[in-house]
Parts: sequence; structure tokens; C-alpha cells
Amino acid sequence: MFLAWNEIKSAKLRFSLIVGVLTLMSYLVFLLSGLANGMATLNREAVDQWRASAIILSQDASSSLAQSTVTLHDASGISGKQTAEIAQILATIRKSGTNHKESAVIMGVQKGQFIAPKVTEGRMFNRVNETVVADSLKANGLKLGDQLSISSSAQKLMIVGFTHNAEFNLSPVVYTSIAAVQKIKYGSADLSGKGLIGGIVVRDPNVDRIKVGSKLQVIPIESFIENIPGYTPEKITFEFMIYFLFVIVCVTIGIFLYVLTIHKTSIFGILKAQGISSGFLIRSVIAQTFLLAVFGVLAGFLFTVITGFFLPAAAPITLNYPILVFYGCIFILVAMIGSLFSVQTIVRIDPLKAIGG
Amino acid sequence: MAVLELLHVSKIYGKGHTEVTALKPIRFSADKGELIAVIGPSGSGKSTFLTIAGGLQKPTGGSVFINGRDLTRLNEKKRALIRLREIGFILQSSHLVPYLTVDNQFRLLDRVKKRNMNKDEREKLLSDLGIRKLKKKYPADLSGGEKQRVAIAKALYTNPSLLLADEPTASLDSGRAFEVMSILSHETKEKNKATIVVTHDNRLIHYCDKVYTIVDGELTPLSGTDSADAET
Ligand SMILES: Nc1ncnc2c1ncn2[C@@H]1O[C@H](COP(=O)(O)OP(=O)(O)OP(=O)(O)O)[C@@H](O)[C@H]1O
Ligand SMILES: [Mg+2]
Repeated sequence: MFLAWNEIKSAKLRFSLIVGVLTLMSYLVFLLSGLANGMATLNREAVDQWRASAIILSQDASSSLAQSTVTLHDASGISGKQTAEIAQILATIRKSGTNHKESAVIMGVQKGQFIAPKVTEGRMFNRVNETVVADSLKANGLKLGDQLSISSSAQKLMIVGFTHNAEFNLSPVVYTSIAAVQKIKYGSADLSGKGLIGGIVVRDPNVDRIKVGSKLQVIPIESFIENIPGYTPEKITFEFMIYFLFVIVCVTIGIFLYVLTIHKTSIFGILKAQGISSGFLIRSVIAQTFLLAVFGVLAGFLFTVITGFFLPAAAPITLNYPILVFYGCIFILVAMIGSLFSVQTIVRIDPLKAIGG
Repeated sequence: MAVLELLHVSKIYGKGHTEVTALKPIRFSADKGELIAVIGPSGSGKSTFLTIAGGLQKPTGGSVFINGRDLTRLNEKKRALIRLREIGFILQSSHLVPYLTVDNQFRLLDRVKKRNMNKDEREKLLSDLGIRKLKKKYPADLSGGEKQRVAIAKALYTNPSLLLADEPTASLDSGRAFEVMSILSHETKEKNKATIVVTHDNRLIHYCDKVYTIVDGELTPLSGTDSADAET
């Protein structure tokens, strides 16, 4: 640390350039992680709000709630600690009297069941033509009392309340009654046993024990989320980009330190001639990498936090600080691994050549 | 027991056509409190002799004992430890770490080795060498002679039992050169070290207890220079 730190102090420009590069790379890692996190949130946060264990869909629906149809009769036969019927339809909504369209996920739920939205503003829907919508729609100018027209349906919904954290598959959720969804989907409501819904959400620690008929399937909630269209490919893409950045960091810092080490061959040789061990020199190179990486990560973190403050609400970046700290640590670790490229060079330095007497 | 003892040590560089005998089989020993000069022309094998004595390279034949331990039987790691603990090098080219101030050159040694000089001893050494005012400077801001004096201070700082100096006065004016020699002589006596100085400057041999000449790798004691003046 002593050699490392004194060298950094005496060649500030050289080392600030390295720290600068590390800063940009850690900033990129942090923003990508924020973006990955943000996109994941927009895909799944409505489902996360349910804190459910599984969802029961029709066998032919291949994990997609929109494609699943279950009769209310079948739904009532499901055992399980807590169950909640859900109906869903993807639609384009439009504020009546304007041309502004927005794609949305309309979810029909039963008032009082655990998947009913927590109203953060206004009140819960009471009638068939009332709705509680994701508060992200406020950014589009929607407010309490507005009428929403639904594409391919004469049904209109009036906003009576807003709820927080209600995004599903990158779209805002519009919560309403099951009857309203049936009206939009099939033209009329049918709450008898033959009436159709999308599926049943279950909250029960022992999901395996739930028995369903052959026409239905129990899907653990995490695999339901993984099957949200686009969710898994997006997640893999972001993860790949972040991992690849780590490889780049490792190689870049490895090259930097290798060049610096080559540059210092004669100094290291002289120190070895005096009897200073290779181990001491290697530790000092690793310590130096550690210092540079810590500076880079801290600066990158600072920029990320500042960026977070100035981010427009619409930007799909969600900074999860524990994850950023985790990635920061990996970043530092990976940089230190890069510095190990120089170990062999240091070990091989011949003190005799260095003193050249 | 001699601090340094070379038994039948020889060194041959290269093989076949390019073979160079840099050191013919020699016997050599240096005792505590002895300041020894080795004088010879360029290319005569002085540096070869010194680097073998200091465990920086292995001889082709023979054994090198430092305080009774045979260096030729040790691996590089152990030899490095002996260099660190027992030997002080003053090399032909100045060998300071460019990014450490003079002060920090000493602190580095404190980090790798115990039982170095204490603060008073160091201050005295620095003022004896006339480099006390240079403590905050980097090597790049020192003159050649100042660098050399810092290097000498560094070598003495670790309290080695064997001091090996390759042309320590090469970049000094004669006044400074004599001063450096008297410091080396003083340290040798007071701290009971064995000191070997390789040089081509005949004027320095007055400070030495023994003088050897080396010509074409052949080391011979210079008769009649078992100087009596150092005895007093
Ligand atoms: N690594 C080597 N490979 C081959 N020959 C070498 C090597 N090192 C030294 N020599 C040869 O060995 C002989 C002695 O070299 P050495 O460096 O010991 O001389 P020196 O007395 O220190 O000279 P100078 O006063 O110029 O420093 C020279 O002929 C030199 O060319
Ligand atoms: Mg030489």
C-alpha cells in the first residue's frame, strides 16, 4: 500500500486517467444494472404486489394469463390458503375527448381479495364502470374523474382511484371488476359458474399440495413472471452486457497494470536486488489496483446517484442501491483479478539485469 | 568467523565460442571491521565478483558463505532474505525508487525489515553525508552526487553486516569522494561491518585495510598495502 499510494501521488495524471476509465466503466455497469432493474420492475411489479405463491391457468394457455380461460365454477373448486380470481385483457386505452392512446393491461379482480389494488389516491371502484389505475398514468395527464375509452369496446371506465407500483409487461395496469373485464372481452358480464375468467392467484406456502383438474395447471409465480413476453430475453441481454463489461474491466486494468509493471521493471529489479521479495511487490501492485478500482467505483457511484436525481420519471431506470454496492464490489474484485496478469512478470524480473553493473 | 568467504569461486559466462571467463577460481574472505578495496580496469570482472559475493548470481563453481551460510545452496527466495538482512548494496548506477521522496526511501525499508537505524542514527548519517535538507525531494530533483549519497545512506540504514559498493564515488567530486570513504571507513569500524569497495580510483585505497587488484578475472592481494594507518 505504501509503494502503491506514493506512486499514485507522484504520477497523478497517469493514474487519474486510469481512474477516469474505471469511473466510466463502473458508471456504465451501474446504469445498465439500473436499466435492467427498471425494465424488470416495469414487467413484474404488479405481480410482486400480490406476494403470491402461484397462479393457476388453463392447461392450453402456456403460462400466459391473457390466453388463459377458466370458468368461475372451476375457480371455486380450488383449495389453497388464499385464492383470488383474476381476469385480464390487453387493450389500448384513450382518455375520452383526446387522441392520446396508451397500451394498458386491464385486470379484473374481486374487491376485498388479496390481489385487489391498494388505493393510494381516490377510492376503490364500486361499480362496473369504475377503475383504479396505475399512478404512472398521471404522467400522461390522467386524473381522478377522467373517462377512459377502451379499444374494440363500447365500455367506458371512470378513474376513481390511483395505485402505486402497478406495471405489468411494461404497461400500466388498469384495475376494475371482473364483470367489467367480461363486458370488454365478451360483450356481457356473466358471474355464474359458467362465467369466464383468466385464472386464479394463490397465496399458500404449500403450493405442491394444490390439486387441480386436468384442464388446469399450477404455475409457480416466479416461472409465471419469467414467461411474461420479453422478460427473460431482456434480463439475459442485460446480464450478458454487465458480465461482458466485467470481462472488459478485467482485461483493461490488466493491460494498464501490465504496461505499468513493464515500465517499472528496473525499479522492481533494484528492489529485488536489495532483497525485497516478489511477494511484497505483487502485493503492492494488487493494492494499487484496489485503490484505483475503489476510486473508480466511488466516482462512478457518485455519478450514478447524481444521474438518479435528474432522471426523468419516464426513464425506465431504477437504482437498487444494495445491487449497485454488490456490483461495485464485483467490479473491484474483477479489477484486482486483472492485476494478476502482472504477477508472472514480477516474479520473472532478474535483479541482476536491473542493476546492470 | 568471516562475514564473507568465497571458496574456489569462478564464473564463466556463455558457452563454446562466446565463453568468457569473468572470474578465475578465487579464495577471498572479509572479516568484521575490514574495509577492502578491489581495484581493476573496466571489464576485469569487478561487478561479477561483487554480484556473486552479494548472492545476485550463482558462481559457475565454488561456494559463497555469508556469516557461515552457503548462498549457492539456497534458492532465490532465501537469498533475497539474506540480501535484505545482511547485505547493503551501493550500486554502480543510482538505484532509488523514482516515486518516493528521500524520506520515504527509508520508510520503505522500515516496511520490509526490522532493526534498521533509529531516528537519531539516521539523522546523524544524513547530516554526515550532507543530505539532511533533501528529505522531501524526489530523486529526479537531486544531482548525481546527491543521489549517490542517498543510495549510500540507504545501504547503511539497514545495518547490514556486509556492505558491497560498486564504484560508490564515481559521480562525486574528490572532496565528497574522500568524505564518503571516511564515512564508510567509520561505519565499518564502529558497526563492525565488512565492507568491500570496487573502484578504479587509486586515491581511495588509503582508507582501506586491504587492497586487491583484479585483472582479467584474476584476483590478487596487493602486497604492502596492509595499511597501518587504518589501524590507529
Ligand atoms: N551477462 C554476461 N554475459 C556475458 N559476459 C558477461 C556478462 N556480464 C559480464 N560479462 C563479461 O565479463 C567480464 C567482466 O565483466 P564485469 O561486468 O564484471 O566487469 P567490470 O570490472 O565490472 O567492468 P566495469 O568497470 O566496466 O564495470 C567482461 O568481459 C564482460 O564482458
Ligand atoms: Mg562493473
